[in-house]
Amino acid sequence: MKKLQYLFMSLAAMLLASPAFAQGGEVANQWVPLAAGLGMALAAGLCGLGQGKATASATEALARNPGARPGIFIFLILGLAFIESLALFTFVIIFLKVK
Amino acid sequence: MPTQLLFTQFLNAHFASPVTALLRAVHVHPTYPNTPITNAFAMELLVFLFLIAYFLVVRVTLSVEKPAAAQHLAEMTHEFVSEQGESIIGHGSERFTSYLTALFLFILLSNLMGLVPGLESPTANSVVPLGFALVTFVYYHYHGVRSNGGAYVKQFLGPVWWLSWLLFPIEVISHCARVLSLTVRLYANMFAGDLVTLAFFSLVPIGIPLVFLGLHLGVAVVQAYVFFLLAAIYLSLAVAHDH
Repeated sequence: MKKLQYLFMSLAAMLLASPAFAQGGEVANQWVPLAAGLGMALAAGLCGLGQGKATASATEALARNPGARPGIFIFLILGLAFIESLALFTFVIIFLKVK
Repeated sequence: MPTQLLFTQFLNAHFASPVTALLRAVHVHPTYPNTPITNAFAMELLVFLFLIAYFLVVRVTLSVEKPAAAQHLAEMTHEFVSEQGESIIGHGSERFTSYLTALFLFILLSNLMGLVPGLESPTANSVVPLGFALVTFVYYHYHGVRSNGGAYVKQFLGPVWWLSWLLFPIEVISHCARVLSLTVRLYANMFAGDLVTLAFFSLVPIGIPLVFLGLHLGVAVVQAYVFFLLAAIYLSLAVAHDH
């Protein structure tokens, strides 16, 4: 059953792909919005995972030791900023490439 | 012809020809000679004038017995910045308080400007954050050299001498990447914030975009704080002594 599923999935993908191969360069731009959306979605999703991990650890640490609030806060904001900038790099690349 | 805000139109109507002449004198040819002043520059000028006026008001109304509202605000800002500086840079952070305060207030005001109708954030233009980042870059290297002298080079060479040929280029690249990441973080955040509000405004013209304006308010404050925090951290790394 699983194998059949894979077979049909790959067949469907190839059916979708064949018109694109046939038409060649003139419609190469038709994939740009798709790629931009997928790229941004990947970046946003993984960035969300990373930020979630960071925030979870920070809140846990804060619950264990409320006295360490200022130090944890600075590192949390810093970490979030660095993680977020990765998604923003993706955004800028997309913005530069998509015309 | 780019669209101009009211203040930009005013500036261009009065100062277009001298500015174009000045730009020509340094061999820069503006795309639109009749309107050489961009929105970003006009907004920066507005922030600059506002901050100068604010500092003047604070200085004039300075009083020990009856502190005015502006003085309370200035004291709060100073307390915040020097507290952060003390906790990050440690001993000798008083020297940097003026620069950090100016940077923080300028970026905060520039970011918040985008929320006012008829104005726009100068930081949503990639050139303006680049300027902040370059100034910060030069400033922390200057203070690194000032406080460490020739030994500042040691920070670029890594812990052991026989790896320094490998670590030196890496460190130089990472210092240049700091400029890039500071620029892109601020620019992309402000730009994306504006864009999200605009996108939802085109979907639902009433009510819903307000939520994203609120989100943008939070992002604006946090990004100003992050820029200030990173500048302070780079400063602290540059002026740190090896013991």
